[in-house]
Amino acid sequence: MTPDWKRRLTFTRVGRWYTGLTIGIGLAAINTGNNLLFLVLGLLLASIAVSGILSEQSLKGVRVERRLPSGATAGEPALIGLLARNTKPRAPSFSLELRERGGDVEGRGFLVLLPAQQAAEAAYRFVPERRGVHRFEQLEVATRAPFGLFEKSRPLDAPAELIVFPRRVAPPQLQARSSARDGERPEDRIGVGYEMHSLRDHRAGEDARTIHWKSSARAGRLIGVDREQEHRRRVCVLLDHRRLSGAMLESAVEKAAALVEREMDAGAEVSLALCGEGLASGSGEAHLRAALTMLALVQPAPRGPAPAPESGAAVLEASP
Amino acid sequence: MKLFAGKGVSLLQAQQLAGSLAALSAFAACAVSEELGLALLILFPAALIGAHYWGGRFYEKAQWAWTVLVVFAFLVFAAQVLAGQLDIVLAAARFALLLCIHRLWHRRNQRDELLLLLLCLLLLCAGAALSAQLLFGFAFLAFSVTATWAMAFTHLRFEIESGRGPAGSAALLQSRRIATPALLAGLGGLSLLGLVGSALIFFTFPRVTIGGLRRPSRGVPVAGLGDRIDLSGHGTIADDPRVVLRVRLDPPPDAGRKSLTEHWRARALSVWTGLGWRALESGLAPARFPPPPKLSKARRQPPLVADIEAVAGFSEGVILTPEGWPLAVSFGRPLSARGSALRLYRDAAGDFFYQPVEVGDLRYTVVAERTTPELDLLRGRGEKYPPWLAADLAVPADLDPRLRDLSRRLTAEKDPADAATAVERYLSSTLQYSRELAGEQKDPIAHFLFERRKGHCELFSSAMVLLLRTAGIPARNVTGYYGGEWTDAGYYAVRAGDAHSWVEVYFPRAGWVLFDPTPAAERGSRQEGLWARAVLAWDALQQKWRAFIVDYDLLAQAQMVKQIGSMLSEAGRRLSGKGAGAAQLRLVLGGLVALVVAALLGFALRRVRLGGRRGAMLGIDERRALQLWRRARRRLSRAGIELGPATTPQEAAERARVAAAHELVAAYSAARWGGARLSAEQARALLRGLDRALAGA
Repeated sequence: MTPDWKRRLTFTRVGRWYTGLTIGIGLAAINTGNNLLFLVLGLLLASIAVSGILSEQSLKGVRVERRLPSGATAGEPALIGLLARNTKPRAPSFSLELRERGGDVEGRGFLVLLPAQQAAEAAYRFVPERRGVHRFEQLEVATRAPFGLFEKSRPLDAPAELIVFPRRVAPPQLQARSSARDGERPEDRIGVGYEMHSLRDHRAGEDARTIHWKSSARAGRLIGVDREQEHRRRVCVLLDHRRLSGAMLESAVEKAAALVEREMDAGAEVSLALCGEGLASGSGEAHLRAALTMLALVQPAPRGPAPAPESGAAVLEASP
Repeated sequence: MKLFAGKGVSLLQAQQLAGSLAALSAFAACAVSEELGLALLILFPAALIGAHYWGGRFYEKAQWAWTVLVVFAFLVFAAQVLAGQLDIVLAAARFALLLCIHRLWHRRNQRDELLLLLLCLLLLCAGAALSAQLLFGFAFLAFSVTATWAMAFTHLRFEIESGRGPAGSAALLQSRRIATPALLAGLGGLSLLGLVGSALIFFTFPRVTIGGLRRPSRGVPVAGLGDRIDLSGHGTIADDPRVVLRVRLDPPPDAGRKSLTEHWRARALSVWTGLGWRALESGLAPARFPPPPKLSKARRQPPLVADIEAVAGFSEGVILTPEGWPLAVSFGRPLSARGSALRLYRDAAGDFFYQPVEVGDLRYTVVAERTTPELDLLRGRGEKYPPWLAADLAVPADLDPRLRDLSRRLTAEKDPADAATAVERYLSSTLQYSRELAGEQKDPIAHFLFERRKGHCELFSSAMVLLLRTAGIPARNVTGYYGGEWTDAGYYAVRAGDAHSWVEVYFPRAGWVLFDPTPAAERGSRQEGLWARAVLAWDALQQKWRAFIVDYDLLAQAQMVKQIGSMLSEAGRRLSGKGAGAAQLRLVLGGLVALVVAALLGFALRRVRLGGRRGAMLGIDERRALQLWRRARRRLSRAGIELGPATTPQEAAERARVAAAHELVAAYSAARWGGARLSAEQARALLRGLDRALAGA
């Protein structure tokens, strides 16, 4: 845990000049004994002290939170928010730079003014170069106010992780190894689908959209319709990464991710088979994220077991 | 002023305006030295105003012309310095001013603005080296405020530009909601804080000086005590409120006395010119101080010590002395650049001079015998005068016969002492004082005595001299100043308007004795107007500036430390009940301590209240979860598990490789983030489990 009192103080370029000049004027004052030069020296030194006090006042009581996006993809910009809150009762904070420190990601945001008891958000764009876990360690709130002579910063613990999905590439023109029909396949039972299964009397309280209006007009009473349950196509994306590493592995992972997305967009239920692990078939946004997360974390596995595709699913094998 | 009309200023305008004002203040700091020269005095303000309105159009245009100009100026100044025609500090100040003008016309990016501020600072330093006047102090104050604005706005402007990019920052820089009067006042307060700090550093910084490259102060004499006076003037004698002497007396005059009745003697003028007086030409000899004659039966009083500062431009080589018999004159602190080399001389008339003539203020001390001559002791000293008094007995050949008659009437068959007293009394009681000059008269004294019957002090003294000389009594006209007004700065100020003229009469074995025929109520000036008071206040302020700032040295610093020490020791003594007013002091200190304690208590209570409020933002289970994790973290660290600042609880549990850690982290996460309950017993049990597991592992 980083203690609250910890500060880092560095000279800015202007500050180095200023300090040099102050020393020079101090020497001139001592050399000549000119009291007015001592007065100027006093002003310069006092400005340094005042600058230190005010920068401390600016940093004090400022809390910062990081707001990570729900997902990020390698090679595509992601917006990361930095929410700063000034908890001081009265004093505003000026010229605050909020930045990442110590983690895998570099980024910064700037706030001109953060009034007392208020919050403001700054954001920075981050373009991840690789897939996988990106760790964030500390946030640093820094200020060069009021004169830009020194930079005082205060580190704040803010550990977090962001999983970056594989880079988006065009999916390969792959055909399934086993026979699988395209699209949805109707099953002979009542369920959720588009095709009509049977007609029956409308039941009170049912959704009006289930009324078959033509039949109702013909019969003179409300007739409801039952739909036929549709069976989704099941696809298993297989990635055998036992002999893959480096660029080859990356290429294979990216293609696997592209296949997962393509098949899910096409309405299939997609499962994932990797060396030593797998994801059962499913659909929807959460499933897509789970699959992409699994692919984002794929590592070379030279001694891992062979991937086991889900039975009954059409297999699409991603290769570099 | 249109910038401030109605809508306020944008940040960009405020930043540029503050930079210009800082430059103007720095220029003023140099200009008050009066050494920059007329050309620069006109050029700089004109360039500043021009740059404000048209500077942007010329940015990076005709750069070659500027370069040529600057290089040319540098070469000229360097040549002048090498040839000994120009002081190096003055040359540097002039060159910095030119660079400053150049920068004022070329300011767009951060580098330009920072260079401008740097040049301003150099100008201020040059001003400090060139001038020690109070006006520099005001320029310094203005600089401290405007430079604070300039630095803060410059920092803010370029932080915004770098943080948001040119497109993103444009709207903010043009916003009129940043450089608000509140911010300007806040920054003003900041500069005030800086000035307080500056004063603290100024007074405490050890005054150990090396003394190399010390620059003597310069000044130009503007007036002086001449060796002649002319009585044929026109118009009215105007009061001149400028201070010519600052006097501190020891022993001080009676308590509460606001004005002095002192004659400050400068020159004796013995030769009548027909229209006025001039000094007798005689050589200068090293000053001697013969013992005073005994002119009083009363016991001798201790001598008066007058610590005098003659303001630059007024004394012009003459040492003014207070009434009485001078016993010693010595030059005092602060010494000028040539202070220790000053020599004291005296002419045949007894006037004191010093050489070489110092153009700055001169400080010296005169010790004088204060015994007032008694008439009894002046009587009966005879009328045998030494031959060197011939000039002081000379009467003009064309003297008005009425004056002879009057002299005879006033002095006939009287002892010289009584004759002098009679003439003095006659003039002061029968003639009127007037500041209106009579204009050119063939015989100004006769015109004064018999026709106009009113006049100014020179006419009174001249008439008395001629009346006494006609009676065969040696007398001479003396010029100097009369009076002195108390100031809050702790000295009596004698002003130029206090110029006065009186008479010295010679008595054998007694020397020259002062008589003043001008009515007592009319001597000196009556300067009570607003302007006169303002001038006096300004002079007092100048003296304080000089005493506390310009002349502050190691000795003054030691005295200050000593004073603080004795103050503390006195306070300690009183607190221990040994001194007068101990009870009151204890009461005051007790009150102060109580105030401080109350303030501290209030502060602590506020913190507790705020802390409570902050804590209240978390529920009891969330706080317990946080506490649980902190304790678990300490235990894991102690068990040798490496935990960095970025290690999450989940990662820590994985590194620990014990089920109890996972269990604890799950309970922590559920309570901290999932809204689950976590009792104190549960937390203790989890920690015990972790301890056991870690011990087993």
